[in-house]
Parts: sequence; structure tokens; C-alpha cells
Amino acid sequence: MYVGAVFFPLLGACISGFFGRWIGDKAAQWASVICMALAAICGVSAFIQVAYGHAPATLEIATWLDVGGLQLSWALRYDTLAAVMVGMVTVASTMIHLYSVGYMSHDPTQPRFFAYLSLFTFMMLMLVTADNLLQLFFGWEGIGLASYLLIGYWYEKESANRAAMKAFIVNRVGDLFFMLGMGLTFWTFGSIEFNTIFQGVEAARQVTFAGFPVVEVIALLFFLGAMGKSAQIGLHTWLPDAMEGPTPVSALIHAATLVTAGVFLMARMSPVVEYAPNVLGFITFIGATTAFFAASVGMVQNDIKRVIAYSTCSQLGYMFFAIGVGAYQAAVFHLFTHAFFKALLFLSAGSVIHAMSDEQDIRKMGGIWKKIPVTYAMFWIGSLALAGVPYFAGYYSKDFVLEAAYAGHGWTAKYAFLMGIVAAFMTAFYSWRLIILTFHGTPRADHHTMEHVHESPAVMLIPLFGLAVGALFAGAYFSGDFVGHHWAEFWNGSIVNAPHNHIMHEAHEVPSWVPLAPTVVGVAGIVLAYVLYMFLPHLPGRIAAAVPGLYRFLLNKWYFDELYDRAIVQPLRRLAVQLWKVGDVKIIDGMPNGAASLTAQASGRVVRFQTGRVANYAFAMIIGLVLFVSIFLFGVGR
Amino acid sequence: MNWTLVLPELVLALAGLAALVAGVLPKRDTSFAINMGVFGAMLLAAVLVMAQPEGTAFAGQYVSDAFTRFMKLLVLAGAALGLLVAMDWNVKEGLAKFEFPLLLLFSSLGMMVMVSANDLIALYLGLELLSLSLYVIAAFNRDSERSAEAGLKYFILGSLASGLLLYGASLIYGFAGSTNFDRIADAVSATEGVPFGLVVGLVFVLAALAFKVSAVPFHMWTPDVYEGAPTPVTAFFASAPKVAAIALLTRVAAGPFGELVEQWQQVLILASLGSMILGALAAIGQKNIKRLMAYSSIGHIGYALMGLAVGSDLGIRGLLLYMAIYLFTNVGAFAVLVAMRRNGRALEGIDDLAGLGRTDPAMALAMTVFMLSMAGIPPLAGFFGKLYVFLAAVYGGYWTLAVVGVLTSAVSAYYYLRVIKVMYFDAGEALDARPTSLSVVLAGTGLFTVFFFAFPAPFLAAAQAAVAALVG
Amino acid sequence: MIAALAFYVFAAILIASAVMVVTSRNPVHSVLFLILAFFNAAALFLIAGAEFLAMILVIVYVGAVAVLFLFIVMMLDIDFSRMREGLQRYAPIGAVIGGILFLELLFVFGSWQFAPDAATLRLNATPGPEVTNTEALGQLIYTDYIYLFQVAGLILLVAMIGAIVLTLRDKPANSKRQDIGVQVARAEAVKLANPPSRAGLGQLGIIRRPLPEAPKPKAVGHDHHDHHGGGHH
Repeated sequence: MYVGAVFFPLLGACISGFFGRWIGDKAAQWASVICMALAAICGVSAFIQVAYGHAPATLEIATWLDVGGLQLSWALRYDTLAAVMVGMVTVASTMIHLYSVGYMSHDPTQPRFFAYLSLFTFMMLMLVTADNLLQLFFGWEGIGLASYLLIGYWYEKESANRAAMKAFIVNRVGDLFFMLGMGLTFWTFGSIEFNTIFQGVEAARQVTFAGFPVVEVIALLFFLGAMGKSAQIGLHTWLPDAMEGPTPVSALIHAATLVTAGVFLMARMSPVVEYAPNVLGFITFIGATTAFFAASVGMVQNDIKRVIAYSTCSQLGYMFFAIGVGAYQAAVFHLFTHAFFKALLFLSAGSVIHAMSDEQDIRKMGGIWKKIPVTYAMFWIGSLALAGVPYFAGYYSKDFVLEAAYAGHGWTAKYAFLMGIVAAFMTAFYSWRLIILTFHGTPRADHHTMEHVHESPAVMLIPLFGLAVGALFAGAYFSGDFVGHHWAEFWNGSIVNAPHNHIMHEAHEVPSWVPLAPTVVGVAGIVLAYVLYMFLPHLPGRIAAAVPGLYRFLLNKWYFDELYDRAIVQPLRRLAVQLWKVGDVKIIDGMPNGAASLTAQASGRVVRFQTGRVANYAFAMIIGLVLFVSIFLFGVGR
Repeated sequence: MNWTLVLPELVLALAGLAALVAGVLPKRDTSFAINMGVFGAMLLAAVLVMAQPEGTAFAGQYVSDAFTRFMKLLVLAGAALGLLVAMDWNVKEGLAKFEFPLLLLFSSLGMMVMVSANDLIALYLGLELLSLSLYVIAAFNRDSERSAEAGLKYFILGSLASGLLLYGASLIYGFAGSTNFDRIADAVSATEGVPFGLVVGLVFVLAALAFKVSAVPFHMWTPDVYEGAPTPVTAFFASAPKVAAIALLTRVAAGPFGELVEQWQQVLILASLGSMILGALAAIGQKNIKRLMAYSSIGHIGYALMGLAVGSDLGIRGLLLYMAIYLFTNVGAFAVLVAMRRNGRALEGIDDLAGLGRTDPAMALAMTVFMLSMAGIPPLAGFFGKLYVFLAAVYGGYWTLAVVGVLTSAVSAYYYLRVIKVMYFDAGEALDARPTSLSVVLAGTGLFTVFFFAFPAPFLAAAQAAVAALVG
Repeated sequence: MIAALAFYVFAAILIASAVMVVTSRNPVHSVLFLILAFFNAAALFLIAGAEFLAMILVIVYVGAVAVLFLFIVMMLDIDFSRMREGLQRYAPIGAVIGGILFLELLFVFGSWQFAPDAATLRLNATPGPEVTNTEALGQLIYTDYIYLFQVAGLILLVAMIGAIVLTLRDKPANSKRQDIGVQVARAEAVKLANPPSRAGLGQLGIIRRPLPEAPKPKAVGHDHHDHHGGGHH
């Protein structure tokens, strides 16, 4: 069962990837869907057994490495945290696989798509069941690779290519920090297995690295790594562009799984992160800023998927500041509910795009809600959950996150609470802006498109129902265990709160207006959106015209892309060109070479040799030699 | 005198002489038969290496232990693969002469002498035997100006390096009174302090060896020679001789001069840093894929040298594994380059790979695997190579090396990815059908690269034994 | 005393002539200075007691290599003025680098120290009073150093193969050689006959190729007659 949950997706990927050409599109699709369904069954039962049966388990698969007295085995670590993730990932992925059967039905290379999708799921499962940092890193890189393949799936599109490259490179920046963190962990604890690390934390608190407490540095490096994967402000630029991939990919990668890897990493490393108060403050700050930033940008975007992408970015910000204030459980809970409603939103958006003949610009939609009522209803459920309207899934998790932020200590927590409330307002606003512009009003699409608007086939709607159930009830059903009064026995030690950290209790004892606040601002946002877009549709344009600077600032996403292009990409390119010139084009020309001319009698060749490169090289060698000798002579004295 | 110890070398030398006779005497064209014969001789030598007892011979000039066994097997594997890669190319380019396999054979013999060298003279002679063969095969396509130029350039600069080596060796001999590594080690440990003459001699020797592995700042010949030489020759250049020269470097540094680790370390750290940085940055602007591979190989040598620069057992083990992984990945990647041929014409541009993802998915997949492995993406073999040396650097507290290594591997991922991007995302015409020999090489090296993570144990054990033999 | 004096004299000439090899304007002079350098090096070998090496140096390097050099230099047309131009341009930086290296080496030799056993380990050119240098070399090369000797032999073999493979062309395209055997073996080239005496060529059946006919005078009228009714008029 434990093994099956992880390896069924790999089996599916192999079947559709290697044998897809022989067994045909249909067979390859269903093979991978069935494998995923089996994995989901295994995953859910593993979740029940581990989380409710309180039976964490570690399964060894193979001995992997033996480096310098360090033994690493490839093992599946099933504790509650991992089991939650496994259950969520397998279920969401199954829904998305099923949905893809319908969505990708016109695609010429379906087996390839399903192979990538299953491979991605496998890598994600590798990540969440990791027993040591190296295995986690495997999954970490694996999902990066798979997402690169998936984003660039339509490689005929130039923009898809560029988005894929961008995602990969930005993620590599994050990975760099992850690797450094891994190196430092190894240096500190002499191991990268979780058990050994967690046991050694107490001792490591005294250790310093370059004048800083080593625990802080490690936590910072891991957080910087997580920032890349989870698209936090500064390293978020790849996420909106990644919407170039097919919509099911957006749903799977950019809502449910990949982007939450960073949150998972932080929760997994909670025993270490707990003792890095400064870094926690930093995480809170970054998370809160991201929540605000992404929500503000989301308010003015016009691409249906980009709006949802920014909303994802913003919700990830919530998760991170929950971690920052020490409420890891709340972060994972929000991650869990978010996966359902955000996947639902993405898939519904996909359904809209499907209906609108691949149109993604909401300015060219409108007036279609009667034609696709099911999708419309699903969109509503997703948005209600996202906005945190009571009794929907998002309500429980988001409320608790904000309560924890209110109860948290330090100015960053207050800042986070404030930003969270503002962002909650903006979230509700842009969600309903999206709904109204997409479904209501006068149709702005051309006649031809409007004629073809149709409800999606059942194979696409069934996953929507499944996810909608999650978006409706996951919050209410699980809140008692995840963050309610049973949290301690539910998590069973898989997430560690330091003895000085009472946030889980304090969050329940906030003033009574605090839990109400998100709901109130959420409803206010909805009302404002209705007023602006439903009843006074001319007003938004006028507001934008009144504050053109702000509007452009938001529309251009705070100018992050431009900044990076100027500050990093261009100088680097120039540097590369310079180096290439020095190494290749040879600045010094015409340097003579006796030996070369002795050998090359033929007239034409002599000219070629007498560009003098050989002498040049020889000269460089001698300079290098002198340099080395000098280092020795001066190094000896030390 | 222990003649039987050198059986592998002896067999190889006799096979070479026999092949020479077989090539010259008959009137018919025997190049294919000689190719096969040389290939067989290499395999036979590999088997004999595996069965070789340990010990020294010829008054301590020749040594055989786990380290030499590990390195010789790599060298022979590299040479045999290089031969396979070259066979079809030579026929198509009209270069199918029997001298080619013969020169490969003698160069492998030179490399084996190098690996087994326990004496400065043996070191020099092995190096010369290798180099002389390489000079000739670099210019093997003698009617091509580029090839001739490559051979000449390599010859001139190589002679300079040999001169440095001899000068350094004479300084060392002057200090120690012997060329034997064991005697030198005794002399080093018997002397108080750091003798300048010896150390400067060592620098000269290290510089010459750094030239052979094309480490910065002795790398300048690499791009030109790699570009000019025929592609399969470049494939050979980038694989087996690098391994042999690294073996020699390791032997010299860790063996007789093991106690002077703090002295040579600084130089190697500098060379390693420079190679990594240059390899990562200079390759970005390249359009010719052979040039790109040249800079890539400079970068890889930087990573490998990191293992030695750390100066610990762990580092040397990382180095050995890195070279093993590099060898196979590199030969695989070059096999793809050798297969780049359209309408009978050999191609070298990165753009010429365009559309390979559609026209030859199997080869594109293999190339993707090699490129990702070189970029160090898990779970491919290249990731483990980097992991071992980085861990060693971290363990030894060499943070600069580790950080620069991680940074440059991130930068170099960019140009490896560009190759993949061109293959899958750009449109292009189909290449000519690839010959069977290349398919075999591609499949073998590709499987090694992919599945290394599942079976690293034998390699780890062999490398461990090699390090134990070297450090004692 | 005399040996030391001789050593310094020869060494000084050796260094001076080496400098002249690099700096002299005329390449022929360069080679001549090279020969002088070889001679002085041989003299140094003699002082060290290595008479075999001294003689080999003279025979091989002076007798063969340097003379070959001389021939090549005389036959080639090398533009030395152009080479000199670059030398002057890069002389300063070259001098700086060379100077640094020189100072470093000077420093090294100034603080030179030997390993404790160096003197005992070092091989003597003449091991005993009755063993000459040539004998000593012979005893070593074929015993202790047989391995290195063989490898050196292989290096020469590879050099030979390399020279052949890079330069020898089996069938130069633009030259024809005579192969009498092939010529004779051609089937129709030679015909044996037993002609009766006094017979003409025609009777014997030997057809002579008709001589090229002299161009007939152009006869328009005749031509016209032949092509009766040609219709092109």
C-alpha cells in the first residue's frame, strides 16, 4: 500500500511513455488514469492508517549512497505530514488525469502528456515521502524537470518555450540555495537523514557559522530554496508565465502540488526552523508581502489563468506567513484545502477556455453563464472557498491562518495579519471580478465563438464534482484534526512546535472580532466587485484612468520582469560575450610564431598560423606558470 | 624483476606490433580487421588488468595496485569506446587507415604506462607516448587544414608543456637524488620544513599535467584543437587521456608529495576555481557544439580537480567517481556528435541538432540524458559525481569551492538546456541514419548514465579500494 | 680547480650562445649558435664524466639535427622582419614575466637544499675506476631500465608511424610511373606474326590507320549536285 501509492504513477508513466506508441492513445490514457486511481486508493488508505491509526512507518527500498561514513537509504517515510500530502497529491492528481482525458482529447501526442503528468506525480510523491534531504532533493529537482517538460509541452509555441526555460532557471536559483542548505546541514549534523538531524538540533543550537547561529543560516537557505519553488516575491516571476502550459498542468503543478513543495519543506524542517526566530520573522514578512503583492496584481490582470495564478501566489503567501508565526499545522491545512479549491478553479477555467474555443482573455468573454451552468456553479464554489466565505473549505483554513498571525509575536506577525486582511479583501474582489467578467454581462466574444459555447463532456465534469466536494467539505471535516483541539495527536510529532511556541493554543483565544474580520472583508470585496463590474461597468475604466501610474504599476506586475532583465539578465549576457571574446576571438593579433612558420611552408597556411594564436597560448601558459610559482613562494611563508 | 606483472602492457604492445605487420604486409585493405583486432586486444588487456596481481616491478618503476586497476579499466574502456565511435566515421570520411586504431592502441599503452608510473622517467615516457599519438591523430585528416592546424597547435604547446615537466622533474631529482616516487616520498618526509626547490619543481610538473587535463590557465589549446580535430578524435581526446592525466596528477600529488598537501593545494584550488568559472561562462556564447563541449570539459575538469584540491580521501574518491561518470557520459554525448551527418556531410553546429526530437527520438532522448547528466540534474549519474566532490569539499570546510561549484553548475545548466531546447523545440531536417556501432555506444553509455543511481555500490567499492591503495 | 674553471668557461659560453640563438637577426647565425651551444653542453658532460652522452650529443644533435635545421632554414623563405615586429611589440610584457620567473628561480637556487640522502642515492656517471661511462650505461639500460628503454623504443615507433601517416601519399595523382610488367602483359598491345617475305601491309591484313585527309577544296557546285532536291534553296 505504502509502496503502491508512490510507484503506481511511475508505472503509469512508463506504460504511456514507453509503450504509448504501440498500445494507442486511448489505452495509454486509461492505463495512466487507472494507475493513478490505484495510487489514490493506496494513498487515501495510507492516510487513514497513518493519520487516524497513529501508525507512522518507514519503509526501506534500497541502500543508496555510502559517502564518507554516511549511509543513505532510499526509504519511504510515512508520518502524518507525509500521509496528508500523499493523500492529497494522489487524489488531486487522479482528478486531473481524468480531466485531461477530456481536455487533451484533440492533442496529437497524448501518451507523452500523460507520461509527463504521471512522472510529475511520482516525483512529487518521492519528495513528500522522503526520508532524507537527498531524496527530497531528488523529488525537488524531479518536479522541476517534469514541470519544465509540461510547461513547454506545446513546444511549437515560442512563448511556451520561453516560459519553460524561465521556470527552470528561476527554479535553479532556488535549488542553489537548497543545495547550499543541504551542504551546511551535512556539515553541521554530519548527516542528512531527518531523524539524525532532528535529534541533533539541540546540540547544533550552540554552533555558529560565519558568526551566525548555524540553525538560522540553514533555515534561511532552505527558505530561499522554497521561495523559488513556491513563487514567493522576488522569485515568483516564473509562475504566471508558466500558464503557457495546458490547463490541467496549471491545475496540478501550479495549484495543488509543485508550488506547495516549499511549504512542505518548511513544515518538514519544522524542528530546525523552530529555533531560527529571525528567519521566521523574515519568512513572515516575505509571505505577507507576497500575499499582498500578488493579490494587488491579480486585481488588474485580464488573462483568466493569470488571475488564478496570482491568486495562487497570494495564497502561498498566506501559507508562508503561517509558517513564519510558527503555525505549521495551519500552513499545511491551508495547503490541503487550497489544493482542492484551486485545482477546482483551474479546471473550471479550463472548462471555460474549452467552451470559448481556447480564448483566455476575460475581456473577450461574458454572458455565457446560462450556456455552461455546471462550470459556472463549480466556479462559484471554488471562488467562495477561495474568498473564505463561511463553511467552505477556505474559510476554516484561512481564518485560522489569520488568527495565528494575530496571535503571533513581533511586528512581522502584526504586519502579516494586516496584509492578510487586505489581501483577503482583494482576493474576494478579483475573484468576483473574474466571475462577472467571464460569465455575466453582454457577450464580448465574436458571434462564431458564442455559437460554439458548450458544456464540457462528462469526463471533464466528474473531476470537477470530486474537487467541488473537497472544496465544500474538506475544511469543515478536517479542521478539528488539523488545527482543532485534536491537533497534537493527529500530527503525532511529525510537525514539531518548540516548547516556547504556544501559537496553536493562542490562536484559539483571539478576540472574537478576529475570526469575523476575513469574512467581513471578503463579503465587502464581493459586494464591491458586484457594484463595480455588474452595476456600474464604466466605473473601473475611469478609476484606472484616474490613477494611471498605479494601474500600470499593477498591470506590469510591479515591474519585476523588467527589473530582472536590466539587473541580471543583460549584464550576465554582456559578461558572457566579453569572456567569449577574450577566450576565443583573441585580442592580441599578429603575434609571430617562429616554430609555426618553420613547419608551415605553404604560403597560404603561414598566414593562417601567423595570426599567432599558438604563441599567444604559449605565453598564457607561461604567465599561468609564473602565477603558480608565485603563489607557492608566497604561500610557503604563511 | 617481475615480468609477469606488466602482462597487460606487454600484450598490448605485442598486439600493436602484430597489427602493424598485419597492416603493412597484405596488399588488401585490412583496416576493418585491424580495428576489430585492436578492440579485442584492448578487451584482453582489460581482462588481464582485472587479474593483475599487486606489487611493483622493474626496480620500483612500475606499480600495480587497486588504484592503477581502477584507472586502467577506465582508460581502456574509454579507448575502446573511442575506437567504436570512430570506425564508421573514418570509413565515411575516407580516413579508414589501419594506422588509426594502431595509434589509439599505442596511446592507450602510453596511458597505462602513465597510470602505473612510479618513477618520474616512467611518467614522462608514458606521457610522451600518449602525446605523440595524440598529436598525430589530431592531424589525422591531413587534407583538412583545420585538422592539420589542430595537430600542429597541440604539438607545439604540448612540447612546451613537456619542457616544463622535464624542468620540474630535474629540480625534483636534484633535491631528492632519485626519480623514484617512493624515494622522493622518503626524502620529503626526512626533510625539515618546505624545500623551495622541490616545491617549485612540483609546480612545474603540476603545470604540465594541468595542461594535459586542460585546466585553467593551461586550457587555451582545448577549444581550438577540439574544434579542428575530426569529431571522433575529439571524443577520444575528451575522455581517456583526461582520465589518465588525472590519474597521474593524483598519483603525483597524493603519493610522493602527500606531505606537502598544503603547498600544492593552493594551486589546485585556483585551477579548479578558474576551470569551473571559465567552463561555465565561456560556453554560453558558442555556436559550434565541439567548442561547447571543449569548454564543458574544462568545466568538468574543474569539478574533478575540486576533489583533489580538497586533499582528503573523500575528495580523491569523489574525483575517481567523477572521472568514471564523466568518461561514460562524455563518450555518449560525443557519439551523438559523431552521428551528426546530413546528406553525407558531417555537421558541427548546435543548430544542426534542431528537430532531432522528432526525426530521431531515441538519439534525442539519449542526448537529453547526457546533457542533463552533465548539468548535474538528479537522478542521473552526473549528479552523483558532483554530489561526491561537493560533499567532500563541504566536509573539508572548503566553502568557496563548494559554493562556486554549485553556482557554476547552475550557470552551465543553461547551455546544456539550450542543446535540449534546440533538439526538441526548433524545427530541422532529419539527419542520416546512424550506424549500428554508434547505437550500441549510445545505448550502453545512456543506460549507465540513467541507472547509475540504482547500482552505485560496485563503483563506490572500487573507488574506495583505489583510494586506500593510493593513500595507504 | 681546472675542472671548475673549465666548467664556468663552458657554461658561460653555453648561456651566451643560447641567448644569441634567440636574439640574432640572421636565422643562419641562430642555427650556428645552436651548434656552438651543443658543443659546450657536450663539454659539460665530459667534465661530469659522461663521455658517452657527450659524444652522442655531438654526433646526433650537431651531426644530424642541427645540420638538418640549417638546411631547412636556408631553404625556407621566412619573413623575419615581420616576426621581429611582434617581438618588439610584446617585448616589455614578455620581459616582465620573464624577469619575475628569473627572480623566482634565483631565489629558489639561493635557498637550495638537498634531501639528506640525495648524495648517496644519486647515480654516478662512472661507478668505479675501472668501469667507463659507456659500460655503466649499458649495464643499466638493459637491466634496471629495460622497461623505460622499451617504452622509449615504442615512442620512436609511434613517431615513425606518425611521420608516415601524415606525409606519405601512396599514389600521387599527378605523376605517372612506368611499370614494365603491366605494359607487357596488356593483351592487344603486342601481336606476334610470321609474315612472308616481300608481302605488303595490305596483304598481311594489317590495317593502317588512314592518314587524316587533306581538306578538300570547297566545291559548291559539286555539293549542290550531290544533294539534289535538297530543298534548302
